[in-house]
Amino acid sequence: MGAGHPLCRRPDKLLSIVANQRPFRETTALTVLISNFLALCPVRVDNGLTTGSRLGHGALQFGSISSQCANFYRNGCLAMNAISVRNLRKTFQTKRKAAGLSGSLRALWRPAFQDIEAVRGISFEMEEGELLGFIGPNGAGKSTTIKILTGILHPSSGEAAVLGYVPWRQRQALAFQIGSVFGQRPQLWYHLPAVDTFYLFGKIYELDDGSLKRRISFLAEAFEIEELLETPVRKLSLGQRMRCEVAASLLHKPRVLLLDEPSIGLDVVAKQRLRMTIQRMNELEGVGVLLTSHDAGDIETLCRRVIIVNHGEIVYRDKVSTLKRRYLTVKTVDVRYNEQLAPDFSLPGVEMLKVGRYGAKMRFDTRKTPVEPVISGLAAAGSLADVTVSEPSLEDVISAIYARTEA
Amino acid sequence: MGRHLAFVAALWRTNLLSAMEYRVSFLTQVVGMMLNNAIYFVFWIIFFARFEEINGWDLVDMLFLFGVVATGFGAGTYLFGNAIRLSSLIASGQMDYYLSLPRPVLLHALASRSNASSAGDFTYGLFSFGAAVIFSGTFNGLMLLRFTLGCLASIAVLISFLVLVQSLTFWIGNTSLLTRHAFNAIVTFSLYPITLFDGTAKLLLFTLIPAAFIGALPAEFVRRFDLLQLAQICAGGGVFLFLSVYVFYRGLRRYESGSAIQVRM
Repeated sequence: MGAGHPLCRRPDKLLSIVANQRPFRETTALTVLISNFLALCPVRVDNGLTTGSRLGHGALQFGSISSQCANFYRNGCLAMNAISVRNLRKTFQTKRKAAGLSGSLRALWRPAFQDIEAVRGISFEMEEGELLGFIGPNGAGKSTTIKILTGILHPSSGEAAVLGYVPWRQRQALAFQIGSVFGQRPQLWYHLPAVDTFYLFGKIYELDDGSLKRRISFLAEAFEIEELLETPVRKLSLGQRMRCEVAASLLHKPRVLLLDEPSIGLDVVAKQRLRMTIQRMNELEGVGVLLTSHDAGDIETLCRRVIIVNHGEIVYRDKVSTLKRRYLTVKTVDVRYNEQLAPDFSLPGVEMLKVGRYGAKMRFDTRKTPVEPVISGLAAAGSLADVTVSEPSLEDVISAIYARTEA
Repeated sequence: MGRHLAFVAALWRTNLLSAMEYRVSFLTQVVGMMLNNAIYFVFWIIFFARFEEINGWDLVDMLFLFGVVATGFGAGTYLFGNAIRLSSLIASGQMDYYLSLPRPVLLHALASRSNASSAGDFTYGLFSFGAAVIFSGTFNGLMLLRFTLGCLASIAVLISFLVLVQSLTFWIGNTSLLTRHAFNAIVTFSLYPITLFDGTAKLLLFTLIPAAFIGALPAEFVRRFDLLQLAQICAGGGVFLFLSVYVFYRGLRRYESGSAIQVRM
């Protein structure tokens, strides 16, 4: 069907005709079909960021929304989120063997298996365009969840929808709409310059040459990788490679980006640069990001909301600011005076960690001791030279949450 | 279909670019494999110098046989280089990459690697076919068409067989050793005249180890047209292709991924 076809010009009319003549269930299914069909209208590139005609792209978006409606109707539960997960479970069966040769021989004769529950009934939602942190220690089930959401793994039970698609049933259709980066699984060809992989991805995602070139140029500028594109990947630093990896995953302008430990092994500067580019793409293109990381700094810098998992279960979910407010209540104060302090210097409700002649270090919990009397007490004790108030790092807070769930 | 072909062509182009990064290594492997095959064929030359034929097969038949098998094997394992390492890809969780992209997993995985040495097999196969044509003195355009068809059937059965064997990894774990044995068996048996075998052995060569579909049948078809043989090689290619795709995708549901650190070469 060409771009000039009446159906291409008026998809809304076609859909309304269908909607008036069919029951809802059939309408939604038909809408998905028609909208996705219209999305295949010939490409007319308006700028470097779009790969389909406006009509086609709009129809594809509409198709996806309709697909979500169909899912909502079918499941009666899934809202219009980018990601909806309900009671997701994944159990792996692993072989167990006692140590040594006798153990191996016994396992050969009578192998023993054990069920490992990697994901235990996880439920959560992510809105379109949201930056959601998904963190947990090793073996918590983060990567398994992401692999289920990309369609790599089938869950043992539960429901999930990403942009209205059931990942393990509609893997290929979903892959056109999402991007993924796994820190331990590079997608760039090791011996070739990144730009060669970019061109291969162009074919994989069916981008035409003109829009692919414009897109590469746009991403190269956004990620500051212009100088790196023609260098063999094996010669790039880890930080440079990771920026190219994320750029590759954004070539087809996905609506959701799943990042699994993208900052693993990066130094502080490279991490900061990567975070900035992810944030920039989120602001520029509204791409939703589900980010797993070991680094609390990634979450603190990038995400508004965080989900903490441990042993395959969600142990905390809320805004990062709430997490800080709830858990960052212990303040440590370092104070220095211009004059000598009284030797018995103390303040009510404040634990003195160290008291010197000209200064002191103390700690208090704002839930028990309000801040104001502490500051007033400090000011009243003498002429202040310097005051530093510090909080535990988000990392310490998360460790405390892990420890609490271990107990 | 067209979009899949464009995608596979792009993969092959990328494989070629990757191989060209190490030109000397590439050329060494190509020449080395050609010499290796030539030395192997010397034994048949010595054999036929003493015996005129073996159960109706002469030196020219062997040249046709080596032509089809080496060309088919070379083209198959060059274009679908991961066909010989699918088992380790599955066992080490490397299928994640192919599963996260919007392309047919099996086709994408198979075509994502080229073996440089296979280009040597392919070139040797063409030389062998050329020699067979010269010695038989019967070349015509139809023979070239039959040779192309025979090689395609040979590729289809060989790659399908390798996929079938390695798909067992989904059920029984790493099958690298089994794959090596199966690979050696099918290559070895495909390079012998089919007339050497009868009864159960022959049945095995048409079923469990389908070497007959890779070597003898297409080679005989190349030498002289036979409608029954054409039907046999087409049916063999189709059946094994269907079986391999079916079994692979059944197994893929059991895929368990992995957390090993990986590199895309």
